[in-house]
Amino acid sequence: MVDFVALLSTFLPEVVIAAAALLVFLLDVLGVRRTEVTAGVSAAASLLALLFVVADLGIAPFSAVATLPSGLLDSSPASASTSLYAFTSLGLVFQMIFLSATFLVSLASASRPSAEPGAPTFFGLLLLASVGMLFVAVAADLIFLLLAIEITSVSTYLLVAYRRRDRRTIEAAMKFYIIGALSTVLSFFGASLLFGAFGTTNLYAIALAPATPSAALVLVGYAFLLAGLAFKVTVVPFHAWAVDVYDGAPDDVSAFLAGGTKKIGLFAFFLVFLGPVLLARWATSFSPFGLGPFNAHPVFQLVLGALAVLTMTFGNLLALWQKEIKRMLAYSSISQAGYMLIGIAIGTSPAIAGATLQIFAHVLMKTGAFLVVGAVAALGIGPLVDDWRGLGQERPYLGVAFALMLLGLAGIPLTVGFVSKFVLFSAAIQAEGYFVWLAVAGVLNSAASVFYYARVLKAMFFERSDRPAAPSNAGRLGANGLGYGRAAAIAIIAVVVVLLGIYPGPLLSVMQSAAQHFVLLGP
Amino acid sequence: MGIPILSITLASLAVGAAASFVAGSRARWVALATALVFVAETAAMFLGAWGPALAPGQVPVGDAETYRWISLPWLQVNYALGVDGISLVLILLTAFLGLATIVYSWNESHRPGPWFGLILLTLLGSVGVFSALDVLLFFLFWEAVLVPMFFIIGYWGGPRRRYAALKFFIYTHVASVVMLVGLLVLVFYSGSTSLDYSALVARAPALPIVTQSVVFLALLFGFGVKFPVVPFHTWLPDAHVEAPTGGSVLLAGLLLKLGGYGLIRWGILLVPGGFLHLDPIVYVLAFLSIAWGSVVALAQRDMKRLVAYSSINHMGIVLLAIAVHSSLGLLAAVLLMFAHGVVSGLLFMVSGSVHHTFGTRDLASLGGITPGTPFLATMIMIGSLASLGLPALVSFPAEFGALLATYVAVSYWVLIPLLILVVTAAFYLWMMQRLLFGPPRGLPAEGAHDLPFFERAGMAVLVVPIVLFGILPGLLVTVIANSPIRGYP
Repeated sequence: MVDFVALLSTFLPEVVIAAAALLVFLLDVLGVRRTEVTAGVSAAASLLALLFVVADLGIAPFSAVATLPSGLLDSSPASASTSLYAFTSLGLVFQMIFLSATFLVSLASASRPSAEPGAPTFFGLLLLASVGMLFVAVAADLIFLLLAIEITSVSTYLLVAYRRRDRRTIEAAMKFYIIGALSTVLSFFGASLLFGAFGTTNLYAIALAPATPSAALVLVGYAFLLAGLAFKVTVVPFHAWAVDVYDGAPDDVSAFLAGGTKKIGLFAFFLVFLGPVLLARWATSFSPFGLGPFNAHPVFQLVLGALAVLTMTFGNLLALWQKEIKRMLAYSSISQAGYMLIGIAIGTSPAIAGATLQIFAHVLMKTGAFLVVGAVAALGIGPLVDDWRGLGQERPYLGVAFALMLLGLAGIPLTVGFVSKFVLFSAAIQAEGYFVWLAVAGVLNSAASVFYYARVLKAMFFERSDRPAAPSNAGRLGANGLGYGRAAAIAIIAVVVVLLGIYPGPLLSVMQSAAQHFVLLGP
Repeated sequence: MGIPILSITLASLAVGAAASFVAGSRARWVALATALVFVAETAAMFLGAWGPALAPGQVPVGDAETYRWISLPWLQVNYALGVDGISLVLILLTAFLGLATIVYSWNESHRPGPWFGLILLTLLGSVGVFSALDVLLFFLFWEAVLVPMFFIIGYWGGPRRRYAALKFFIYTHVASVVMLVGLLVLVFYSGSTSLDYSALVARAPALPIVTQSVVFLALLFGFGVKFPVVPFHTWLPDAHVEAPTGGSVLLAGLLLKLGGYGLIRWGILLVPGGFLHLDPIVYVLAFLSIAWGSVVALAQRDMKRLVAYSSINHMGIVLLAIAVHSSLGLLAAVLLMFAHGVVSGLLFMVSGSVHHTFGTRDLASLGGITPGTPFLATMIMIGSLASLGLPALVSFPAEFGALLATYVAVSYWVLIPLLILVVTAAFYLWMMQRLLFGPPRGLPAEGAHDLPFFERAGMAVLVVPIVLFGILPGLLVTVIANSPIRGYP
């Protein structure tokens, strides 16, 4: 007999978000279509869920906690190996990250016009996607994980397309959907092969499997899983869809895609690949294709490391040539995924902590950047870098906020983007061996990326606008034409980006101990 | 521990900078007050830091402060500050240049608030670099100098300012991240978990020579770009020519010294093995810089470009004095950095004033300016003579020491820099001859007369150390020797 009350209280954050999603749809049916209301429900629910997660983590905000309570993992690896879900502290940290993305996007979207068709649907889908994200963070079973990813994916396909009359967004949604379906198929096929090899789809059970019965099956299975998940994370060469989709989607949706949902793929990478990456015990009992003993452990690391370098270099190189701000941000998002992969390739707890912070930093900065892009577009300013000339002088608030996001993405000190890269690259050097070269590649890439971010800053601050006159404010929107919600979201992000850049200690400690738990406990 | 004078200094500069930003047209008074406070604090530092002599491998102790900043099991970052003789002399240089620049640009009318604020931020970053004793903190201050200078060049510079600002930023940023990786490799390969300088200096010199050499190469590149050492110097002429006068003064006087300081404190003291292993490369780079700077300077018609290239030449001598790897050499290197700081500051000021007064810096179209602008002419004279190493001015003891140390180390090779110094002297004499004497050429701009009081005062601030420490170099030498330099042969 399942104890539903216990189950509900276990999944309190997920329940809150799901209930809010239903409430939003219900309000739509009842005819309550004011955006402020639905946005308020959405933001309040994500904030509430965020509080629950933080309480679960057992941390009082802003106090430096060196270690997490060790009883945090409800289920020991042994019991997790029969369960569909397991609460790990790293999973909770990721829930925190996901919920902050949902909260920020909800807040920022509060100023979208209520008359727009499908406005309530937008928030409902946003919340549904968040439910999927939260489930990803607690998955212990491959199928559970993939289904959770699917919840998010399906919601985001619709999110991209919710503006039904706009051909551009429909095209983006179609691309997104087809590629997404393909990646799902690949992932499930990989999972089925792993099931064939291990007789289970539980990630903990797979990791604990004494010897691999069929090495070739395992390798091929992981290869398919890698390909399927790589689409979600926009790893080169599985990235091509991302730019068109981020570019074509409405700005708030781009913010949520690049800043939020992409990160579930990364956590799935953690779950799926840390097993093989961490478990050197597979090294000896491995003989794929009858080729004799073969050490799979460094091969996984090598493949992931190579993908990391490829992804960040390729993303950066293409970002250099972009004339549109949104496409530039999309490519920069691809390259940032490369940095995060470094952490997974290395697989030590410092590296995981660094990657986690990098993911959080990226959620903040990329969400913020897309929100500014949306705000600027709402002012009637074009999408090209050249259109943004002089913006920093005309609109100092937006200019400075965007500058902070870009400086953070470029890894300039006193932003959280610098701290995360610093920790990540330090972890790579600390791991020694050829990981040092991952750090070198990352550092050179981040130095090169300064070039295209600086170009935008140069246009915004050093160049004069050739627009006839400052575009008129939208009038009915507060906060200088931006809308209060969006202005608040951007302001919050800007403050947090700087605050964590100066004093990252407590958050970093939490992430470090979560990563340590994760590494100790297996996938 | 006593009074945390270093933190107080940094804080006062930060407050001053913030106040300048919002002070609008009154920013110059804020900046002046901040600079004067900074001078007083520098004096206090000298009093506080008069400690025992240090051997190599020891950490600067004067005015030390340490607070924990980031604490992970595998990574500890401190907010750690401290100074020794080397840092103190360079902080003194910072104080002189800061005061002089602020006074010189007293009449800045284009956005004075940000202008003075950014100058103070540059000073803040420099003091931080000279006193940071933690890898991350050092790197933060190192980068913190970049950003204000980027804006100073980009906003107040000449016609090609945006190109120059971006080039400056990219060059130095790439170099600094390479340097950071080098330092992190040192930390983790020496089995340390702390980024503290004391932990580093205790363990890093024991690393295998191969590791040390690779790291030294990274550091040489990282610091060499700032120097600038010749193959990596191309950002400098652009940045200098496009920068406004105040920016050039700080760029040449201060920012180049960060490279020299970094190479000594975070380079050769941490990886002495790698340094000695690769010393021939350092010699070659030094000779290259000396020769290249000098020869190219000879071909310049633009006064500012000439001074910029002569900076490459002088910093080459600094690198040579470091390459010698002796107590005398390092002493001379630091002294020369101070000397070049004040002298090049003065020279950039006079070329700025020439530009204001005559509307051009083209040496070919100027001449015989002494009767019209006697004060300016005197300053050009002092600057040039100091730069070519006239005895009784501050460069002389420094260059003499550097060459003497080179002779002791590599005997007749010293002829290379010595002969090139003759060329250097030649181009300064040529410049003076063209500019100051002979029939007047080049008309003063409409209504221009000899310099306004603030330009005179700014120059005077720099003439004081040029003459004072030229006659009494012992004052500086005593201070510099109070550092790990003393332990060298």
